[in-house]
Amino acid sequence: MSSVEMVRGEEDARTNKVTDTDTNTNASKNSEKEMVILENISKAYNGNKTNRNSSNVNTSRSGSSTVLFEHIVLDNLNLRITEGEFVTIVGPSGCGKSTLLNILAGIDTSYTGKILIDGASIKRSPDTDRIIIFQEGALFPWLTVYENIEFGLKIAKISKEKRREIVMHYIDLVQLTSFAHAFVHQLSGGMKQRVAIARALVLNPKILLMDEPFAALDVQTRRMLYDQLVKIHEKTNKTILFVTHNINEAVALGDRAIIISPKIAGIKKEFKIDLPRPRQLDHPLINSITNAIIEESKEMYTSNSYFTSRYGNYSTESKPDLELESPQSQLA
Amino acid sequence: MQNIQDNNQLQTSFKEANSNRKKRISLHDLANVTLFIAAFIGIWQLVYVLGIWPEVSLPSPIRVGESFVDLFEDFTIFTSIGMTMYRLVIGFGISIAIGVTMGLIMVKFPGFGKTMSSFALGLQSFPSVAWVPFAILLIGLNDAGILFVVIMSSVFSVIILTYSGIQNIPPLYVRAAKNMGAKGISLFRFVMIPAATPSILVGIKQAWSFAWHALIGAEILIAAAVGLGHILLVGREFQLMDQVIASMITIFAIGLLFDRVLFSKLEERVRERWGLDQSIER
Ligand SMILES: Nc1ncnc2c1ncn2[C@@H]1O[C@H](COP(=O)(O)OP(=O)(O)OP(=O)(O)O)[C@@H](O)[C@H]1O
Ligand SMILES: [Mg+2]
Repeated sequence: MSSVEMVRGEEDARTNKVTDTDTNTNASKNSEKEMVILENISKAYNGNKTNRNSSNVNTSRSGSSTVLFEHIVLDNLNLRITEGEFVTIVGPSGCGKSTLLNILAGIDTSYTGKILIDGASIKRSPDTDRIIIFQEGALFPWLTVYENIEFGLKIAKISKEKRREIVMHYIDLVQLTSFAHAFVHQLSGGMKQRVAIARALVLNPKILLMDEPFAALDVQTRRMLYDQLVKIHEKTNKTILFVTHNINEAVALGDRAIIISPKIAGIKKEFKIDLPRPRQLDHPLINSITNAIIEESKEMYTSNSYFTSRYGNYSTESKPDLELESPQSQLA
Repeated sequence: MQNIQDNNQLQTSFKEANSNRKKRISLHDLANVTLFIAAFIGIWQLVYVLGIWPEVSLPSPIRVGESFVDLFEDFTIFTSIGMTMYRLVIGFGISIAIGVTMGLIMVKFPGFGKTMSSFALGLQSFPSVAWVPFAILLIGLNDAGILFVVIMSSVFSVIILTYSGIQNIPPLYVRAAKNMGAKGISLFRFVMIPAATPSILVGIKQAWSFAWHALIGAEILIAAAVGLGHILLVGREFQLMDQVIASMITIFAIGLLFDRVLFSKLEERVRERWGLDQSIER
């Protein structure tokens, strides 16, 4: 009972907030409240997490020193994001971008480190204050567009009239009102992603986590969605963490672009993109930052770290291999 | 203003398109079927006229037709169909209920699920009539015995396809749903079951066919008082071949009706709604 009440309470807060941000977006932007704080996030995949027996076999075979087959994806990653900030993350395939988003979303719970959202330490479980939008959309094919967008509200047991009001607002925001009763397979790829965005927004999350949401779309559609996303960002002032492997996209969209390198299993460098929106995609500053990032990323694709990141590091307790590839030696 | 009108039009057109499924029965198909039946009866009549078998073994189509009329006139056919359908609905219904529930339990408890699924796989191909002696000794020569055979023959298909259907749900759906706050019962009800519905439907369709085989078999073997299987039994004992054939035709027609009309339509609707046909077209 009380949880329902709570949700309603939140819902009211939502309506207030929307009107609030609609009128004075700038004021809240200037407040510089820290929305996301990631402290020393580390994540490693074990070669055999589920099969304990065989890991024992490995250990006994290798003799005295314990050898663990583990693949360090994130190593002591630190990141701070202020409220309303649009942060983009780039990096080569397999560098741990999706892993990072899944950790933040609470879907992946096996990591070390601390995450603070809006000042509070989070539980290791999914929560509707952080909604992830997947590359494939992950819309439910058995539901119509309307029902898909309604999903989270229905789970939260919000009343039907209230649901209708909220859904209609966001379905309008992503300009899909005329497709409310269409099924997912009747939509184009770009429309699907707009539904996914609306489906996330109805829950009024504090943070939108977007995992290569436009990667599967053609250039024209993507540009259209850039515009819409930027407009939505402006209207709702959501904190957005946007993962992409498209460097130009990262620079064109973000207030800040962060490069993740598999070599150091963490943030290699970040670029502030201080350009007002709407932005011209071929603005000289965007081009120059894009080129700088490309220059910066070149070695990520050529060095042998690619091999280790793909097939894992065999790290002994003394970790000689890892030290060779420590961040310090990289930057030197 | 113009825009809103357009939108409304589009909206209704989607609604209509989604509710208005292809209903046309092609005339061409109808002609083919008629021709096929006519040819079949023609050959039958020809064989009858040639007199290879005596009249008792192979009656003429007209004799069978008369037998049909007899069965209609004293209402035997109706009570038989009614009784058989009653058993089918009850047995098959229980089968679906148990099967889906069991499938869900198996998903909830993976250790049990794994063992149970190989067990169920073995029992799925177990011949239905082989349950009959067991049912007679355990329950007796009565309706409950027949139902037991029907359930045992069909429940395992439902179990297997419910279980595998849920196991094969794209993990992305579950992740997205959990992220949007679904867990426990709501995750099952709003995500797992709908996502597995196409697979569960395949299980139900298969189960129907097993249940139908088992039902007629059990009606013959567990000498039931009334039923289509009973007509066959009586027909055999009193050498009433015309009655046997009439009953066989009825059984065939009911099977066709279920398969062609009920399940095909259901499957078509689900496939269309889930967008499965489209993925094949692409
Ligand atoms: N379940 C898993 N078990 C073991 N290793 C995994 C698992 N999931 C991911 N990895 C490894 O972790 C690394 C990071 O994966 P992740 O999916 O986060 O990469 P990504 O940066 O999102 O790549 P992409 O751009 O291709 O989506 C990869 O090298 C991958 O091999
Ligand atoms: Mg990824």
